[in-house]
Amino acid sequence: MVIFLIVALVLDAMAKGIDFGMTSAMWFNTILGNEEKFIDPLGMSDLLLSLHADLFGLILIFILITALLIRTSRPKYFKIAVLFLGVTSLLFYGIGLIASLWMGRLGVALSWGGFFLFHLLMIGIALDILILLSRKKF
Amino acid sequence: MHHQLLRILALLFIALVVLQSILGGALFIVLTGWHPHDIVLYYAQKSLHGLLETLVPHTLFISIALMGTLHFLGFISTISEKKKSLFIHLLFGLFIVDQSSPIFLNLGMAFFVYVKIIAFVGFESALGWVWIVMFRESLSDFSLHH
Repeated sequence: MVIFLIVALVLDAMAKGIDFGMTSAMWFNTILGNEEKFIDPLGMSDLLLSLHADLFGLILIFILITALLIRTSRPKYFKIAVLFLGVTSLLFYGIGLIASLWMGRLGVALSWGGFFLFHLLMIGIALDILILLSRKKF
Repeated sequence: MHHQLLRILALLFIALVVLQSILGGALFIVLTGWHPHDIVLYYAQKSLHGLLETLVPHTLFISIALMGTLHFLGFISTISEKKKSLFIHLLFGLFIVDQSSPIFLNLGMAFFVYVKIIAFVGFESALGWVWIVMFRESLSDFSLHH
């Protein structure tokens, strides 16, 4: 399950890279549009659809990784810090993308940061869990 | 100190679930409209192919996601078996009603718009509740282990 979760996270980040881009500048262009490059801004329904479907999967992944992380032998405050970062980055991703309708670039930047921070964090934690499992130190 | 942190963490997670539910509702309204009449019109205009385009991936993906989620709910000890069973039946039942209502709307049975709205809101709320229960269980496990 952990291997599949890692693969899912990597593929999700890759798919988002193709859809929106990997850098914040590419996200600005895709979401807010760019007149010089003749790129239309993302429509409200496309934005909501993408976010709703994405968050659904990411919350499930977060719950599954949380359930495993809690049972590891890692220090208590490390786990709390990871969970805080995880849930906050997901909130930044969702709220930032919606807020981009009013806040423009700041909202997109928050969302971009939240999305990639969450993916990097969860992949790191999932790898850590995998290593602990393989060393039978779970 | 760490109980306070866990409480804040649980609140942040609830905010995330609320955000996801608001997004679901907002998406539905953006696509179909506010008024029940708009919702009836939205589904009445759709072809069978258009309906199936939404119905097929939803049926496949949501049923798998529900099965995975509810499997984990089975391990939870903070709620009774009766409540678990109720939520499992409720989630699958509301999901079937929610997904099949557009077919009846498409066939001209306008009454199903209210069935669709109630099933949609009920499903989103029940799923949100199950996620919160699962997350709270993880946090209470955390408190017990330390």
